[in-house]
Formats: sequence, C-alpha cells, structure tokens
Amino acid sequence: MVNSRVIVKKEIGSLLNEKTLLLAIIVQLLIASFSSMIVIGLASFFDPSSLSKYDSPRAEVGIVGQGELVQFIKDSQVNPHYYTDIVSARSDFDSNRIDAIVVIPKEDAGGNELINLVIYLPKSDIRGTFVTLQLKKPLEEYESYVRDIRGARIGFEPIRLYVDDMPGKTSTYFEFIYGILIPLLVFTPVFISGGLIIDMLTEEYERKTMDLLLVSPVSFSQIVNGKMITAIIIVPAQAFLWLLLLRLNGVIVYNIGFILLLCGIIAAIVVILGAMIAVKYKKRMISQYLYSLVLILMFLAGYIFTNSPFNLVTRLSADSIGAEVLVYCGGYAASAIVLYAGMIRFQISGSD
Amino acid sequence: MRRIFTIARWELRKTKSSFSLKTRFLSFIILILIGMTSFFAAQSGLHINDNIYRVAVTDASIARVLQSEAKFEVHVAEDAGSLFENEGFDILINGAKIYYRDTDKSISALDAIDKTIKRYDEARLLSYNDLNNTFPVWITIKNIAREQAFQTPSINTLPQIEKSNEKKSSAAQQVIEKIPEKTAGNTPSIKEITEIKKVSLISGQSLATPSHFDPPVPFKSVVLSFIFIFPIYFIAQFFSSSIMDERIKRKGELLLVSPLNSYEIVLGKLLPYLLGSMALVAIMTLKLGGSPLIILIMLPVSLMFLSTSFLGAIIARSFKELSFVLIFLSVFLSGYIFFPAMFANIHSISIISPITLVVRLLENEAVSVSDYMFSTTPLYLLSILIFIFGIFIYREEDLFTQKSIKEKLLDSIQEFIKRVPFPLFFLSIALLPLVFSIQLMLIVLMFNFPIRIGIFFFIIVAAFIEEIIKSVGIYTVFSRKMADVTTVNALKFAILSGLGFFAGEKLLLLVVVASIAGSAFGSVMGIGLLVFPLILHVTSTASSSLAIRYLGHREYLACVVIASMVHAAYNLYLVRSVVFG
Repeated sequence: MVNSRVIVKKEIGSLLNEKTLLLAIIVQLLIASFSSMIVIGLASFFDPSSLSKYDSPRAEVGIVGQGELVQFIKDSQVNPHYYTDIVSARSDFDSNRIDAIVVIPKEDAGGNELINLVIYLPKSDIRGTFVTLQLKKPLEEYESYVRDIRGARIGFEPIRLYVDDMPGKTSTYFEFIYGILIPLLVFTPVFISGGLIIDMLTEEYERKTMDLLLVSPVSFSQIVNGKMITAIIIVPAQAFLWLLLLRLNGVIVYNIGFILLLCGIIAAIVVILGAMIAVKYKKRMISQYLYSLVLILMFLAGYIFTNSPFNLVTRLSADSIGAEVLVYCGGYAASAIVLYAGMIRFQISGSD
Repeated sequence: MRRIFTIARWELRKTKSSFSLKTRFLSFIILILIGMTSFFAAQSGLHINDNIYRVAVTDASIARVLQSEAKFEVHVAEDAGSLFENEGFDILINGAKIYYRDTDKSISALDAIDKTIKRYDEARLLSYNDLNNTFPVWITIKNIAREQAFQTPSINTLPQIEKSNEKKSSAAQQVIEKIPEKTAGNTPSIKEITEIKKVSLISGQSLATPSHFDPPVPFKSVVLSFIFIFPIYFIAQFFSSSIMDERIKRKGELLLVSPLNSYEIVLGKLLPYLLGSMALVAIMTLKLGGSPLIILIMLPVSLMFLSTSFLGAIIARSFKELSFVLIFLSVFLSGYIFFPAMFANIHSISIISPITLVVRLLENEAVSVSDYMFSTTPLYLLSILIFIFGIFIYREEDLFTQKSIKEKLLDSIQEFIKRVPFPLFFLSIALLPLVFSIQLMLIVLMFNFPIRIGIFFFIIVAAFIEEIIKSVGIYTVFSRKMADVTTVNALKFAILSGLGFFAGEKLLLLVVVASIAGSAFGSVMGIGLLVFPLILHVTSTASSSLAIRYLGHREYLACVVIASMVHAAYNLYLVRSVVFG
C-alpha cells in the first residue's frame, strides 16, 4: 500500500507538471459551450414559445384564398397580406416583401374532403425558420378546430386536462441540460481517465522503464494499482469542479455527493478495463484503438436502458431519485470488483 | 517522389504488422457489438430522460396515458395530493385538474405532459383509419430559393440560454442589428458568394400536418455526417501513435541520418494514413449512397485532423501529454466543423463548415465550387501551415529531447524566420488562418455569457490572440538573439509584422470573412475600415516590440498584455454603442 502511494504521488506530480489537466479542463469548457450553443439553436428553432419571448419581428405572410383559417392567422403573431392570385403573391415573395405564402383551398371544416394548404417558404433562410415558427400556432389551432367538428362524427373525444395559467415554457432546455449536458460533463473525465491509464502504462513498456521499476522494491501490481488510483481519484475532483461551474451558471444540481460517488465507481470500471487492455497489448497504438472501440460501445450502451449511469446522473441531478441510487451504485461497484478480480487473475496468468 | 513512396510503404508495413490477427478479430467483434447496440438503440429509442419527472395522479386512466412516455414516473394514489405536498412530486393531477409548482422542473414536466397527451391523441386518431375526419388539415411545403435580404437576422443575435434580464438582451439585439446597416454597403454580402450557384427553383417539397410543421433542422443528416468523421479520428490516432512511437523508441533516428529530406520522411509517413482515411470515407460514401463529392469535401477535414495529430506527436513529451493535446485539438476541431452544420438549412453562414456541405449533399442539394472554396480554404491553409511548421522541427534536436512544448514551437518559428525572406511580414500572414479559426471558435464560446459581456470578453481575448501572433516572431528574434535588441530594430520589426497582419487580414477578407463582416463581432475582427486598422496593427505591435526591447524578453507576457490593451481599447471604442450603450 505504501508503495502504491509512492506511485500515486509520482503520477499526480507528473500530471500537474505537464499541465495536462489544464487542457482537460479547457476541453470540458469547450464541450459545455458547444452543448449550450446547440441547445439554444435547437430549442429556439423547435419551440416558438421560447423565441416569442424575445419578440422576434412579426413575419409578413401573404394569403391567397379565403376560409376559416384567415381568422386564426389574423389573431396570431403574423402580419397578413391578402392577394387575389398566386402570381402577384410570388412577385412580392421574390422581392422579399413577404416571407411566406399560404394558399387556402375551398374546402371548409364542415365538409368531408381533406383541406390541402400550400405554403411557400424561402429556402435556407433564417426568415423561413421564423415564419414557420410563427405560423405553426394558428395552423395547429385551426387543425383542432376542424377536428372538433369532424371528430365528433366518428365519436372521438380528446383527453382534456385543465390547468390554471399555462406558463407556456418548453421542456426542451430542461431536458437537454439535465438529460444530456450534465451526464456528458460528469462522464467526460471518466473517459479521459481511461485513456490516461493506458498512456501511463504503455509509456513504461515502450520506454522500457517498466523493467527498471520492477527491479525496485515495488511489485508489478503495486505499480498498476498506484497508476489506477491516480486515474480514478482525479475523476470526482474534475466532476466536482464542473458541477460547481454549473452552479455558478445558475443550473442547480442536486445530490452532488451521490453523483460523485457514482462517477467514481464508473471511473473504476473504465480505468480497470483500460489497464487490462494496456497490460495485455503493451503498445499505445493498439491499446488506444481498442479502448476507443470499447468506449464507443459503452457510450452507446449507456443510453439504451433505464438506470444506466447516464440516466442515474440525470435523475440525481434533477432530484428525481434519492438514496435508492445506492442500490444501483452497489451493482456497479460489484461489477467493478468482479472486473478487478478478473484482472488480478489475468495478470498472474497473463504477464510474462 | 520515389523516396516518399518507399517511406510510405515502410510505414504501411509497420502499422499493419502491429495489428495481429487476434487484434483484428477482437476489433471486428467489438464493431459488431457496436452495430448491434446502435440497432437496438434505433429500435427501442434512447433512454435519456427516463423517470425524470415524478407525477402523482388520482385517475388510473390518466396514469395509463402518461405511462406511454418513459419520462414519467407515475404514482396512482387516492391521496395523491399529499405525495405532491410532502414527497416532492413534480406534478399532481387531481381528477382532470393539473397542479404544478413554480420551478423549472415542474414547468417543463407540464410541457412534457402536454406533448405526451397530444401524441397519445394522435395515435388514437390514427387507429380510426379515417384520414378525412381525423387528420383533416395537410400542408404542402414548397421551399423556394430566392435572393436573401441584406439584413437577415444574424445567428449571433439568438437569445441567451440563461434567464437573463429579458429587456436588457433584447435591447442589445436591436443595437447589434443596426451595425450591419452601416457596413453592409461596402462589404460583399454572403449572398454574392453563395447565390451564384444555380439551384433548381423548387427543390424542397414536403407534406406535413400542422403539428409536424417544423423548421428544417437537418438533425438526421448531421448525425449521419458524423459517421464520416469516425474513420478519420481513428486514422489520425494511428498516425500520431506511430510518430510518437518512433520518438520514444528512438527508431526514427536512423531515417534522419539518411540522405532523405525531413519533408520527404513526413510526406511518406503521411501518405498511407491520408490515403487510408480517404479510402474509408469513399467506402462509406458508396455504402450510404452519397455523392462522390463528399470524398472531396472530407479531404481537407482529414488533412486537418492528420496535421494536428502530427504536430501533437512532435511537440508532446509523453503519451499522456499527447493524449491531452489531441483530445483538446479534436474537440476544438469537431466543434468547428459540426456546430455550424446544425444550422445548415437555416442560415447561409453555416457553410463555413465543410460538414454543412456534406449535410447538403445528403439532403440532395447542390453544392457549388464557390461553396467549396468558401468552406475548405481555411482548413487547407491551416493544415498546410501546420505541416510546414511541424516539418521545420522534424529533426533530431527537437524529436529526441525533452524540450517543452513552448520551446519546440519557438524552434519552428525560428526556422521559418531563417528560411523565408521578409520573415516577419510573411509570418503574420502565415499565422492568420490560425487567428481566424480561433476567433471563430471564440465567438461560439462567448455565447455562454450575456451578449454585452460576451462581446467585451471577445474583444479582449481576440486582441490578445492577435497581439501574440503579431509579436511572436519579434519575440523569437530577440530571445534567440537573431538580431540586435535595439529600438530601431524593434520599430522596424513592428512595422513589418503589423503590415503583414494587415495585408493578410484584407486578403482573407476577400476570400472568406465577408459573411461575418456585418456583425458586431466582425467589426471587432478589424474588418470594414482600412486606414485605422493599419495604424492600429502597427501601433499595437510596436508597443509590444518596444516593451520586449525595454522590459526584456522574459517579460513577454506583460508585453503582449500591454499591446492587447492598446488594441482592445481601439476596438471597444468602435463597438462602444453595443457594450456600453
């Protein structure tokens, strides 16, 4: 144990010395920025209500034809312009005076035929996006109006729930931040540590310094343990830093203690796997390659079942699960121990 | 040429031999597992937000509706109210009445319930098999290309994610939108570059019901285009490993003493990896049925990843350092190429990234030569630049010593200065693509802050980067004693370097930057006016070079800070209305 501690000290010293951790932190900052950028982009484009807060300019919409839809459009955010035929509307559309044309057919709600609207939008233009968002609401209202009339014919009764004062906010931000961003930030240090243990071990092999270390009073398993401990303990530290930064950004994260515990356990699993690969293959190129493949597999697997580490972090950070998480932590810890036991056996039989 | 091929053949044999049959078999099995997992994920959906909302209901029939969505953990109880009051449940549905709290989570749970019920109703309607009465309204969407207006709202003015003071940010947006009016006249608009292409007038037609009438976010294509990057990541990793391996085992020494030039060695080593990555991209393109143009578009992307891996492998002192340098660079690069692609159908500025072109091709849209030039020129320039600087230090004293990263980078600059006429003038020009790419990334980073603070930070950091680039040559000359440290020399170098940067900037403007020239960020990048930027670049560089002369090169950081202050002050003055107004 004392010997392992020496190794830990040495490895941490070299990490600090090479300022590599600093780069790792910048990496996470970049990831965080991309994600928040993407969420702004996605959420605001998918969801009109989040944009309408920021009073985007009223879209100018040309309308050809008459019908019940006109009233819904009139009551909405857009500025309607009326045209008698499509040609004059198109000429205004082409000269940027209007941003969309809605062509309303003759059929009405009381009829039996489908109501086929044609909407012209500008291609690859942010104005097209805005006008789409602003038109969506009156179109949906119109649809449910028609449905109320026609649905009754077939005896359809929509589910009706009531709420005082609908706040009109989207769930997209919340679900992105807690469902994707936070797990990604918490687990990035885990993935990095898996690569780190491979570098630490293969470097000793490739520089042939492993042999030198082995003639010292430190045993092989003490070396590996020391390196693994280093790679594992920096994970909760980095993750904690991230949760702290999120807090400063106004994102409240619950159950920080459990989150750190969980990511520490997962780090142990990933680092043990990395160490097994490195000890087996001894070359960085091959080891990193296989590790990357395994990582992709684990990453995908993390999204396909409830109570996966990603999902647990999501629920912990959003305060949707409490101490029950210890059951799952126990499960993951058990698999880490099994892996470790496997590794020790494999070292005895596998190392030359 | 023949020597290059010989090296290439050796390199190929070496890499091949390190993959034993067992390794290949193992990776094949893992790949199959990955395939199975992604197939499973595609079938059963991602369980990202499972059980994130906890809902208490009294009516079991409503519980069944909500259970159709995995996001909800639903509890049916007579006294659901007490669960809501005491157990921290997010939503209470008492009969048909919903109660929620005034928290972000509870409010988004409410929105999620709304969406779930809509979806549930639609599914029920579908089961009637009577389209005319259940889905009576249909929309035919015709997307038509037209001349874009000068003042399309810029992506830069999108709202902030945090709940910043609404009034403040919308005021800031209005101010920003005014700036393009001033500069729009004298800078060519993006339209002139992109709209030259001949696209068929009506290309996109699709059909939707009102609830599926959404803006065209090409999410699928972006995810699909990610597949093209995968082989490049791996191949770049092999490339850097191979070079680092030779350094650590000192095998490369033999090649260096041979009559081969270092550029021949590097190109020879590069060749198999470049061809390999392009071959993999080609295979994937054929399998996915994409346009062969995709291969051409991925070429600069592949070059970019390979060049950064090459430089990383040369400057790193250990495997750990290499890993971190490469992770850092590839995250940076991936952001640069993927982020704009998200906006592929939304704003023309998105073609700054080659992936946007791939996305367009995947969506069966046309890509013109000018589009290609626009989005790939910076990557070509930057990767060639990185290779050149890397080749400068591909020699014994840098490869097999434990010099720090900084020393090695200075070595390569020193080589540049030795080999090129008017080195300081051309060094500024040569490093410009680097400045440009970093600044583009900075713009993205600054979205984390409210817009005023964002612009403020951007000005300061951008000035700092430009000043480093302009003065690094002078610093190298003085610190490596390549010229006498005199005031006359300091001024002479400052003028050369400032002039070079100015010339490069204007050149770049013609090729690439026109699109962002209109925004506030653009004017900070020194575009728009002519005389003042020239004076600015020379003055600020002079302040750093004189500072190096009098404070000594050990105080380089302080010197750059002084120059950045001069630089930032000027730029802050330019956009004062946005930041302080």
